Amino acid sequence: MSSPSNNAEVTAVDTAGRWPLLLLLASGLSWLVISGVLALVASIQLHSPTFLTDCAWFTHGRVSAMAETSFVYGWAANAGLGLGLWILGRLGGSPLRALNWSVVGALFWNAGLTLGLIGIATGDATSFSLLQLPRYVQPLMVAAYAAIGVSGILAWNGRRTDGTHAAQWYAVAALFLFPWLLIAAQSMLLWSPVRGVLQAVTAGWYVQGVFTLWLAPLALAAAYYVVPKTTGRVYPSYEFAPLAFWTLIFVGAFTGGRHLIGGPVPAWIPTLANAACSLLLFHYLVVVLNLRSVFSAAGVAARFISVGLIAYFVSGSLDFITSFRGVALVTQFTYFAQAQQQLAVYGGISLLLFGAIYFAVPRLTGRAWASGAFVQGHMVLVLLGVALLVGSLGLAGWIQGHALNDAKVPFSAIAASTRPWLLAVTAAHGILLLANLLLLVNFARSVYSVCCSCSQAGELAFRQPSTMEAPTS
Amino acid sequence: MSSPSNHDPRLDQAAASDESLLAAHEKVLGKQPDEKAKYKLLPLNLLFLFSGLIFFAGTYLNRYSGLFDSHVFNENALPTPAGAATAVKVDPLVLGKKQYEAICINCHQANGLGLAGTFPPLAGSEWVTGSEERLIRLVVYGMTGPVKVKGVEYSAAAMPTIGKVKDSAYNLSDEKVAAVLTYIRHEWGNAGAGISTEQVAAIRAKEGDRKPYVQDELLKLP
Repeated sequence: MSSPSNNAEVTAVDTAGRWPLLLLLASGLSWLVISGVLALVASIQLHSPTFLTDCAWFTHGRVSAMAETSFVYGWAANAGLGLGLWILGRLGGSPLRALNWSVVGALFWNAGLTLGLIGIATGDATSFSLLQLPRYVQPLMVAAYAAIGVSGILAWNGRRTDGTHAAQWYAVAALFLFPWLLIAAQSMLLWSPVRGVLQAVTAGWYVQGVFTLWLAPLALAAAYYVVPKTTGRVYPSYEFAPLAFWTLIFVGAFTGGRHLIGGPVPAWIPTLANAACSLLLFHYLVVVLNLRSVFSAAGVAARFISVGLIAYFVSGSLDFITSFRGVALVTQFTYFAQAQQQLAVYGGISLLLFGAIYFAVPRLTGRAWASGAFVQGHMVLVLLGVALLVGSLGLAGWIQGHALNDAKVPFSAIAASTRPWLLAVTAAHGILLLANLLLLVNFARSVYSVCCSCSQAGELAFRQPSTMEAPTS
Repeated sequence: MSSPSNHDPRLDQAAASDESLLAAHEKVLGKQPDEKAKYKLLPLNLLFLFSGLIFFAGTYLNRYSGLFDSHVFNENALPTPAGAATAVKVDPLVLGKKQYEAICINCHQANGLGLAGTFPPLAGSEWVTGSEERLIRLVVYGMTGPVKVKGVEYSAAAMPTIGKVKDSAYNLSDEKVAAVLTYIRHEWGNAGAGISTEQVAAIRAKEGDRKPYVQDELLKLP
């Protein structure tokens, strides 16, 4: 059995944080599978409307709300926070403190989410996208999030070196920005609702903020850390990284107005969103320029991050293109908008997180993944599933958008013409569910092998990492 | 130094230690403004690109923001100066077509033929081109029970309440009701006279709040 303590690659940061961080990752992966089941049910109902509709809990509106909520607040939040804390600890240079807060926070976060999902199922959902958790669990979520974040903030404040790395900026920004978004949105929409159109504006701002100011920074923190760790090379054009970071932070949430094109809002709100989307292109471009060494790197993490990086860039460019009113005329309120969302959260965020998880878990457990075949199976299936999902939704949406603009085409004909693509979407959800089950099983086996301390024949050893050389110029 | 080969999918080896990763990147950002020649000029193409994006964003914002006026909803419009607003006469056919495509089209279809056996046609219908008294009441208050149109009996669906009366499904103003009635009396080869806002208002004032009509009540009217 390899002994982690003698190995410089697995440090005290990892051993101290092992169980709390594995708890976060385990919750994230479990929610990923649960949300996969819900998404599968919801997508079947789109082409077979009678499926499971006899039970109010499983009607389409509730199931799709549960699928979306458990994906973002279950999978992406838990996994992103786990990785963020790990990175802050590692780059901070000392073991994470106050991890008992994180454990308690994680337990309450997941308990609150479970309660909230039951609330959605029984009909207590709010009417705002991504904020569907019933009002009574929302304060609990804020408190639980704060508790999870404590050790990250302590690690940032107590960091050993003056210098900081881009991964730390993004992780700390995500820790601080999400509570701001959530508190502002729930007080303006749920506790003392603002009037009329302002609600739609706030909801659009929140939906975009969750992606741009919370999930994207978490995923970027993971990618910015893992890529130089696997390539061993300093980022090219790294001097632009701060500018890309601040562009995202300042401009990111202003792109929320693109969800309101065609809505009853003053013209300047969607216009401002378009301007913000164009500025944000700079952020997407610099991130790709910085991380581009990953395209030539080998390894599982590098492959996930390569594809995730492309998806992230393409989703940013699509946001810009569809924020023009002429394009939004076709894509707005169709499956195309869903394709964009899936490209961002599944293609961009999740693939980056998967890559980082494949890198992080062996260091947290102190040993390699249990099964190499499962790793490769997961990778193949996930990439296939995401491509099929985004491709079919995008095509269905494009057809649907053009047909909807033609008053002569009856509604039933539109539904019939998108049906083949919706069947492909169901297939994609099935593939993704299978893939994520492989990941969960592999994760459980890897963690179990630590619990039982059983030694395996042919155990892979961590190689001693070398020193990264700064560019000489 | 070389990057390690990562052939086993079970474990990605690290190519650099955390300390050196931090130090090497920090050196790029360089916090030594005093040391001469340590600054690299921003590579020019990225600088140009960012400036170009800022220029585009600023121009676009200036062109399509309606001067940030909260009353401008059309990105190509400019706010109207106070007192300069003039009422524009709306073409009832345009307004009516818009209402038709938002509401009526769901049952009566774009061609005005309805659905055989379920929704009665409007094209060539005696109800549409005939008595104005009946037609206005039918649309403002709605209609339940069977109805005979062009010799065919329809009983599957009810006509919803459209006008601005109690329990209305749509609450359309008298002007909009008049516009949509004018539209359906003019479209698909129908040749009825237009219906004015005043006619609708008069009937609504006369009948007050009441429940939807049935066929026989309407047929008693002239």
